[in-house]
Amino acid sequence: MTSGVTNVSVAQVPPGTSLFRARGTSSDIEARPITAVLPLPVRLNSAAPRRYYLYLMAPAIAVLAFISLYPFVWLIVMSLQDVGVGAGEWVGLKNYTRLFNDVRFLEGWVLLAQYSAMCLALQLSIGLLLAVIVNGARWEKFLVTALLMPMMMAPAVAGLVWLFLYNGTFGWYHWLFQSLGWLDSGSILSSTDTAMLAIVLVDVWQWTPLITLIALAGLKRVPQDQLEANMVDGASPLRNFFAITLPNLYPVLLIAIMLRFMDNFRFIDAALVLTGGGPADSTKILPIYLFEVAFKFFKLGRGAAIALTLLVVTIILGKLLVRIFEKPKSERV
Amino acid sequence: MARISINKVWKYYGTSPAVRELNLECDDGSFVSILGPSGCGKSSTMRMIAGLEHISAGDILFDGQRINDLPPKDRDVAMVFENYALYPHKSVFDNIANPLRLRGFAADKIKERVTSATKLLEIDHLLNRRPSELSGGQKQRVAIGRAIVREPKLFLFDEPIAHLDAKLRAHMRGEIKHLQRSLGTTMIYVTHDQLEALSMADMIAVMHDGELQQWGTPSEIFNRPVNAWVAGFVGEPAMNFLSAELRSEGGNTVLTHPNFNIPLLPQQVALVNGSAKREVRMGVRPDALSISTTRPDGPVIEGRIYVTELLGGDMLVDVQLADARIRVKTSTDFTGVADDACYMTVNRDKWHLFDIEDGHAYF
Amino acid sequence: MASRDVVQYKSPLVVAFKIFSVIFLTVYLIWTLLPIFVMFVSSFKDLLEAFNIPEVGDWAGVTVFFDFTPTLKHYHSLFYDNNFGEYMANSLIAAGGSAVIAVTFGSMAAYSLSRVEFRGKGDLFFWIISTRMAPVVAVMVPLYAIFRSFDLIGTLPGLILAYTTFNLPFAIWILKGFFDNVPYSIEEAQMVDGATRFQAFMSILPLVAPGIAAFIVLCILFAWNDFLFAAIIGSGGAKTLPVATRELVQPQNIQWGAIMAAGVVTTLPMMLLGLVIRKYLVTGMTMGAVKE
Repeated sequence: MTSGVTNVSVAQVPPGTSLFRARGTSSDIEARPITAVLPLPVRLNSAAPRRYYLYLMAPAIAVLAFISLYPFVWLIVMSLQDVGVGAGEWVGLKNYTRLFNDVRFLEGWVLLAQYSAMCLALQLSIGLLLAVIVNGARWEKFLVTALLMPMMMAPAVAGLVWLFLYNGTFGWYHWLFQSLGWLDSGSILSSTDTAMLAIVLVDVWQWTPLITLIALAGLKRVPQDQLEANMVDGASPLRNFFAITLPNLYPVLLIAIMLRFMDNFRFIDAALVLTGGGPADSTKILPIYLFEVAFKFFKLGRGAAIALTLLVVTIILGKLLVRIFEKPKSERV
Repeated sequence: MARISINKVWKYYGTSPAVRELNLECDDGSFVSILGPSGCGKSSTMRMIAGLEHISAGDILFDGQRINDLPPKDRDVAMVFENYALYPHKSVFDNIANPLRLRGFAADKIKERVTSATKLLEIDHLLNRRPSELSGGQKQRVAIGRAIVREPKLFLFDEPIAHLDAKLRAHMRGEIKHLQRSLGTTMIYVTHDQLEALSMADMIAVMHDGELQQWGTPSEIFNRPVNAWVAGFVGEPAMNFLSAELRSEGGNTVLTHPNFNIPLLPQQVALVNGSAKREVRMGVRPDALSISTTRPDGPVIEGRIYVTELLGGDMLVDVQLADARIRVKTSTDFTGVADDACYMTVNRDKWHLFDIEDGHAYF
Repeated sequence: MASRDVVQYKSPLVVAFKIFSVIFLTVYLIWTLLPIFVMFVSSFKDLLEAFNIPEVGDWAGVTVFFDFTPTLKHYHSLFYDNNFGEYMANSLIAAGGSAVIAVTFGSMAAYSLSRVEFRGKGDLFFWIISTRMAPVVAVMVPLYAIFRSFDLIGTLPGLILAYTTFNLPFAIWILKGFFDNVPYSIEEAQMVDGATRFQAFMSILPLVAPGIAAFIVLCILFAWNDFLFAAIIGSGGAKTLPVATRELVQPQNIQWGAIMAAGVVTTLPMMLLGLVIRKYLVTGMTMGAVKE
């Protein structure tokens, strides 16, 4: 058969041609012609309408464009201007070049990195340990509920409560630290050596429960049969933890790390209330510095340049995070 | 290799018992199957033997030694899990080597054992793959490999082939049985599939609602079920049950039903203790009936064909009786079609009578 | 099926870990609950009583903490001398308003993102989510300039819109996950039975309703607890509870009793709401990456 013939009826074809593949030998068994070449359709019908979805998406996109995309463009424009309280004037890249000589800007990055690293290290180790302890405990539900209470508190309020507790004359934690001999007469917040630790402790206090909750959710999904198989194979509980539990926990812990990392960039409420960057700039992590430049001194242009650097780093981190999200949660056999 | 004794074992979850006073004796080197529907306590039993579950009451002994308080690693058992429980981040080789590594075997010894085990299971070409790259059947072999490299005292197989497709399952039945024979290790095999139990095991323990129903060889379980529940659970297609009445008629003890009147065999009369008129349950497997569209001599069951199903080499005929429907297995030569009248004769050596109250078998 | 907890057999290591667990957990619970406890108790203390602490090293002296006559005067002064009633209303309107906008628009967008494929969807999605992840201060710089030109600074609509910057992307992201879990065949069945597209969408809403309700609460929680936006965008006319609480701290005269009472007023409703949506908390706080 040559091309052009698309429909072959049984009668047209002499018996024995290879066009037929009968599924049997009996003559009344169904036989189907196999067309050698299928011509493509001449014209495709118009695609199924999808406008409907567009309408549903439009309001959200419009709102987001106004409060996210438009401000982003504005941010770039502002960073090239000297904007104060009034209208701005173009200054080119001056806002950026000045950053390289701005000690507090560079210092702000270093402090931010230190702050994040300290918070993460403490939260991760304590949070994981807590999760392992609480998992399967008799009062698990109650314990978890008690643990997550700090997360419900407004960070600014948490900062105020800790300000009270750290107070050098009547703060209970101040009394505790002194009684334990960890601290001399000065308040923990008033010394450049300890102020950073003080704000780290507050962050650890408030957000360790999140790591615990995440790790706990991960622990519940560690395949029980693998643990059991390994036990029957001859592993001790400790060995089981490192061989099976931890590798299975790894993906959720990674998510926890990324989330906390970004939140350390996002939220400065508690630190702002506790130290406001002091004493002597020892806790002036970058977002606090940015807050000062933009909303204390109203140098919005310079603030925009700083904000842009902060945004770029966050977006890179975010990209990493999304990649982790999109990976299959964990391989399951 | 070991002899496993389960003495008066109970398992409680909260206050509800999952296993009630279980007693089993598994001979050294035997293949024992624990058979029952889901929730019957068979998995709990196996997990108690493995040490994954606390034994609420009673004792389990290996070779006369009580092992209740030993952790799994000290029991020297190997287990194959229903979901295979392979370690996804390890290669096939490392999965199989895991139990040896945990016991501190030397590297060359490990390699030797893993190699011979994988050769035996015909998976030696897969050693570097990850479990996610394997098919169901291959994963299952790896899981078995992990169990046999250890050369343990006891194999525990928990529905190991339930997730394979039918063809592969049939194949693996033979393989596992052969493997157990050649290794000679005691095996406890949990399944809900009566065909697996019947075809593989030396001894079968049938469980229901946490209680042991019957303990016997496959042929005893199949041919001489101790009660109606076992009779109904074992066998495919399932046994037909009919309510009937025992009556004395002219010196004979006769089973009567609207559709038939069949006398018991003399040796069976002795078993039904007394010929007092009473209700019983009659059970007969589809292949213990023969069917015809013409009335044969002797006592018959009369019915009407409801539907016929061709199953390749056999034919199943559903027959409508006055109050029930029964299935008959016959050859493909049977020519009856739906709504035809039909006549069935019972092979009286292979029928069963059960007590109507507690279901125990008279014969 | 068998129970799913692994039996533990006694070994010295297991016993040691058990003992360590109990100690660690006790210490941690005290440390985690103490600030909240101190806040509650101090809000009922008179000023001088709140300042009573024992001598350094006087461990037995901790009992002075409980040595006070409870008073409600701080709460009284919050609502009569300060305008905390109004601030509370502001908090409620701003948080509730942005939550409703976020979940309404968000569920519509999330549904279409879940059901349709198009080129650039991944990029659109990333843009949406990066809005949520951006540092608040950085977002606020241009937002402040823009809102100023629209006269939105110091107004509740301005604050609602500001909160929507993080609540709307959050809602889209989370709710998409919800819709992804609803099989498309339900809508197909509806449409075959004669429903319009929109009716089909409405028909699956009940399936995700509990989740949507929980995420309205989460959106409220995030907005309610915000301080930075409220301090800058809301400064002047739209003072919320955290900002008002913070303003009780004055250089010369820190009204600790009132601050603690304000802290309780701010925190208590959120703690209760948190308990109500406990099930969705992990999902919400991890942006859907981890489910319990």
